Amino acid sequence: MAGIYIHIPFCKSKCTYCDFASFPKEIGKMESYFACLYREIEGWGKKLTNKVFDTVYIGGGTPSIAPPNYISGVIKQIKKYYTLSDNPEITIEINPGTLNKEKVDAYKKAGINRFSIGLQTGYDEQLKRLNRIHTAKDFLLCTNMLKGENISADILIGLHEQTLEQVKKSIDLAIAGGVSHISMYALTPEVGTPIYTDYLNGELLSDDETADIYDGAREYLKEKGFDRYEVSNFAKQGYESKHNLNYWKRGEYIGLGVSASSFIDNRRFTNTSVIDEYMNAIIFNKVPEVSSETVEGTDAEFEFIMLALRTKYGIDTEVFKKNFNKDFETEYKKQLDKKEKYLEKIGNSIKIKDEYLYVQNDIILEFMKNTGDTNE
Amino acid sequence: MSTDKNKIRNFCIVAHIDHGKSTLADRLMEMTGQVSERDMEEQLLDSMDLERERGITIKLTPVRMFYKAKDGIEYTFNLIDTPGHVDFTYEVSRSLKACEGAILIVDATQGVQAQTMANAYLAIDNDLEIMPVINKMDLASANPEATQEEIENILGIEASNAPRISAKSGLNIQDVLEGIVKNIPAPSGDENAPLKALIFDSYYDNFKGVICFVRIKDGTVKVGDRITTFMSSKEFTVTEVGVFSPKMQPTPTLSAGEVGYIAASIKSIEDTAVGDTITNADRKASEPLPGYKKALPMVFSGVFPLDGSKFNDLQDALLKLKLNDAALSIEPDNSAALGFGFRCGFLGLLHMDVIQERIEREFDLDIITTAPSVSYNVYKTDGTKLVVENPTHLPPVTEIDYMEEPIINASIFTPPDYVGPIMELCQFKRGVYKDMIYLDKTRVQLKYTLPLNEIIYDFFDQLKSRTKGYASLDYEIAGYERSDLVKLDMLLNGDICDALSIIVHKDKAYERGRQIAERLKDVIPRQMFEIPIQAAVGGKIIARETVKAYRKDVLAKCYGGDVTRKKKLLEKQKEGKKKMRSIGSVEIPSEAFIEILKTDSDNN
Repeated sequence: MAGIYIHIPFCKSKCTYCDFASFPKEIGKMESYFACLYREIEGWGKKLTNKVFDTVYIGGGTPSIAPPNYISGVIKQIKKYYTLSDNPEITIEINPGTLNKEKVDAYKKAGINRFSIGLQTGYDEQLKRLNRIHTAKDFLLCTNMLKGENISADILIGLHEQTLEQVKKSIDLAIAGGVSHISMYALTPEVGTPIYTDYLNGELLSDDETADIYDGAREYLKEKGFDRYEVSNFAKQGYESKHNLNYWKRGEYIGLGVSASSFIDNRRFTNTSVIDEYMNAIIFNKVPEVSSETVEGTDAEFEFIMLALRTKYGIDTEVFKKNFNKDFETEYKKQLDKKEKYLEKIGNSIKIKDEYLYVQNDIILEFMKNTGDTNE
Repeated sequence: MSTDKNKIRNFCIVAHIDHGKSTLADRLMEMTGQVSERDMEEQLLDSMDLERERGITIKLTPVRMFYKAKDGIEYTFNLIDTPGHVDFTYEVSRSLKACEGAILIVDATQGVQAQTMANAYLAIDNDLEIMPVINKMDLASANPEATQEEIENILGIEASNAPRISAKSGLNIQDVLEGIVKNIPAPSGDENAPLKALIFDSYYDNFKGVICFVRIKDGTVKVGDRITTFMSSKEFTVTEVGVFSPKMQPTPTLSAGEVGYIAASIKSIEDTAVGDTITNADRKASEPLPGYKKALPMVFSGVFPLDGSKFNDLQDALLKLKLNDAALSIEPDNSAALGFGFRCGFLGLLHMDVIQERIEREFDLDIITTAPSVSYNVYKTDGTKLVVENPTHLPPVTEIDYMEEPIINASIFTPPDYVGPIMELCQFKRGVYKDMIYLDKTRVQLKYTLPLNEIIYDFFDQLKSRTKGYASLDYEIAGYERSDLVKLDMLLNGDICDALSIIVHKDKAYERGRQIAERLKDVIPRQMFEIPIQAAVGGKIIARETVKAYRKDVLAKCYGGDVTRKKKLLEKQKEGKKKMRSIGSVEIPSEAFIEILKTDSDNN
C-alpha cells in the first residue's frame, strides 16, 4: 500500500479554527503554484518508479476552489509519472460553497471517485461563527450534484454551546446527502487561530461535554449503520477511506505541494509551509523540505503501535512480526500486562477496547520506550 | 597585645521580632566606624539571603567595634546578634552566655511584646545587666512614655534613663554607645589561668576546618597552642585566632574577656560541640564552663528529594547544615510514596521552614516535605512505651493502651479588642484557659495551655488574621498530657498513602480528613479510571471525594502530516509521567504532593 497526497493551499477565506497551510490572500498565485506542483509531481514520479500507489488524496485548503482543469491536470500528471494500482481511490476535498456542475464533470472524468465534503455542522449560525463560506443548504445542493458517488462529510464537535441534538441533526443532514462515510472531529483549538481566544475564555465545550457528545453521536452513527473504524472516522461497510487507512498502517506516501508530508523508505519529511519558498525551491530545482527524519528501531515500532491503536483493527501481530522481525507479545509483555484492562485480543489483532478508544493517550504512552531503555 | 579587660564590653541585643535589632546593630557599627556608610549593606549582620529577605536573624553573628567614649578612653565592643523568634530561644541563650550585658530594644509604637518578655527573662536568668532602649522614635505613633511604663511595670526593669532612639534615622545612638560603657560591666577572668573558651557557635570552612566562635573566659590562646576540649579527648594545634570586624580578621592572640574565633584544622564538628569548653592540652582547666541545655527538636517532618536520585545530595546538605545547627536532628526515613529520605526534627516551625529553604537555596535541591508532626508517647497494652515522631510508625490501634501528646504553655500578648477572637481560636485548638492579665490599657496577656500539634497546624496564621497581626505569641514546652489521638490515613483508590498520614485528636479527624481529601481532589490529575479519595481512621472511612476518570485524552486527527507532531506530544506527556509518584495504581505529580503537604501556617 502506498498513497499520494496533493496539497492545494488556497481558500476563499480562512475558517476560525484552521491552522492548515491555506492562504486566501495568495489566490493570485494559483497558476504558478500549479505549475510548480506539476513539476514536483514529475520530479518525485521519476524517483519512485518502483512503487505502486493505490490512493490519491487532493486536500487543502480548498481544492475545489481551483479551476477544474487544474485538478484534472494534477491527476493527469500523476497518471503519467506514477504507477497506480487497478481502481485507485482518488479523493478530493470539497467546500460546499464552491462546487458546480462543470467541476463535478471534470473531476469524474479525471477519475476522481471519492468526494470529501466539509459540512462541519448543519446549523447556519454555527457555520457563520466558524467563518465558513457556505450554508447547510449548500451542502445538499452539493450532494445533489454528486448523487450516486462515494461521498464523505466532515462534522465538528465541541463548538460553542453545541448540543448532542444538534450534532445528531447534522449527522441526519449528512445522511440525507447520501454520504457513506463521516469524519467526526473534536475541535482542537490551535494556538494562533481566532478560535483559540474563545477557548481561552472558556467559550468552547469542555472536554467532558465534548466527550458526552462524542459518545452520544457515536451511538447514533452506529444505529445509522456507520461503524467507527478510527478515533474520528465512521463508515458504512466497505466505505472506509483507503488513503487514510494507509497512514494508520504506517504505509508509505508521498506528499506533494506546500506543507505536504511524506513517508518514504523509512524517512519522514515535510515541505515548507511558505508558498513562495516552496515555489522558489521548485523553480530552482532545490528541495522544498524543511524537516527530515529517518525513523528506525523502537521509534518505528512505536509509530506502528500508536497509529494502529487508533483503529478498530488494532495491532496486527503478524504484520508486526513481518515489519520488525519480532514477536509483539513477547517484546511488549510488560506493557500489555499493565494495560491489560484496556486492551483486547481478537485473532491476530490487539486493540484498545471500544470504550477506551477516546482516552487512548495514556495506553499508547505505555508502549513508548524511554531513550536509553533496554528491553527488560 | 591583648586588650585591657576593663576596656571590653561584651553584649547582645535582644528584642521582639521586628523591633529593630539588626538596624541598631548596623547603626552601632556605622557610628563606631566599623563600616563606612558607603560600604554598608542594609542590615549587615543578617548575611544569609534568607535572613535579609524575611527580616529575621537566624544565626548568631558576632562583631567587634571600637568606640572612643566621652571619658577619652577607647573601648572594644563585642556585639553578638541574636535571633528574635520563639523557635530560636536556644540560640539566644547561647549568645547570652558569651556576654555580660544585653540591650533590650522595645518598639515605641508597639510596646512590650511576647518575645520582649521571653528574651528579657532569659537575659535576667543568665545574670546579664539589662539596658533598655526605646526604638522607633521617628514614627509618628511612637509613645515613649507608655513604652517606658510597660518596661517598668511588665518587666520590672528601670527604664527612666532608657535612650529614646531611632535606629533607622540614627537619633540618639550616641546615648546607646555611652550607655554600653556605663551600664554594662567589663568582663572578669584571668588571662594567666588555664584556657577556658566557651564555644557558642561554629561552622565548617572548606579550607580551615571547623571555625569555633568563642568567648574567652580565662587564659590566652595563640597560633601554635595545643588545645583540647572537655567533651573530646582529641588534641589540635591552633592555626588561626581572630576577631570579627565583622568579617573574620586574624589577630596574634585572644585572651580573657575577648570574643573571637579559633581555627585548628578540626575536621569533624563532633570534636567541638557548641557549648563545649576549649582548654589547653598541656595545662587543662580544672572544670568546664557551664554549657548549654541541649535543645530538643519539637517538630518533625519527612524531607525527601523531589528527584529520587538526589538522595545522597540531600544527605550531604543535611549533614552540612547540622554542623552548625545542633538542634537539627536527622534520621533516615523511607516512604512507599516518596522513596528514600529523612525524618528531621526541628525546634519549631520557623526553624523547619528555614532549614527547608536553605536546602533548596544553598544546595540547589528540590525537596518534598511531609506535614509537620510532633513526638508522641505511646503506651502499649503490653506495658511498653514508644516515642513516635512519624505517624507511619504508630502501632495498630489494638496494641495501644493510651497516648500522650506534648503540651505548651502559651503566652499571647494582644490589644484588648482581640481577646474574644483569640479565646475562640484557643478553644478551637483545644486550649485550656489559664489566666488573663491586663498589663495596661492597651495590652492584655492571655495564658493558655495548648497541644503543640495544634500550634504546628495553622495556628500562627489564624492568630495573625484574627488580630490583624497585632497579637504576639511565645511558648514553652510544658510536658506531656494524655490525649485521645488517632491516626488519620488518606487512601487513594484504596491504597494508603503513607506520606499523607497524620496523627490528630479524635475530634479533629473528620474536619482534617475532609480538608485533605478536598485538596487532593484538586491536585490529582484525572486518570484512566475513577479515583476514590478516602480519609480513614482505623478501618472507618470518614470522608470521601472522587477524581473522575477522564473522558477525552486523544489526538482528534492523526494523518500523514501529524505523526511526528503527535509523537512529540506523547514524548512530552511521557516526560511528565516520569516525574510522577505512584501510590498504588494512582499517579501523582511531585508538584501536587508539595501542594498537598504545604502547611497552611505562615511560620513567623
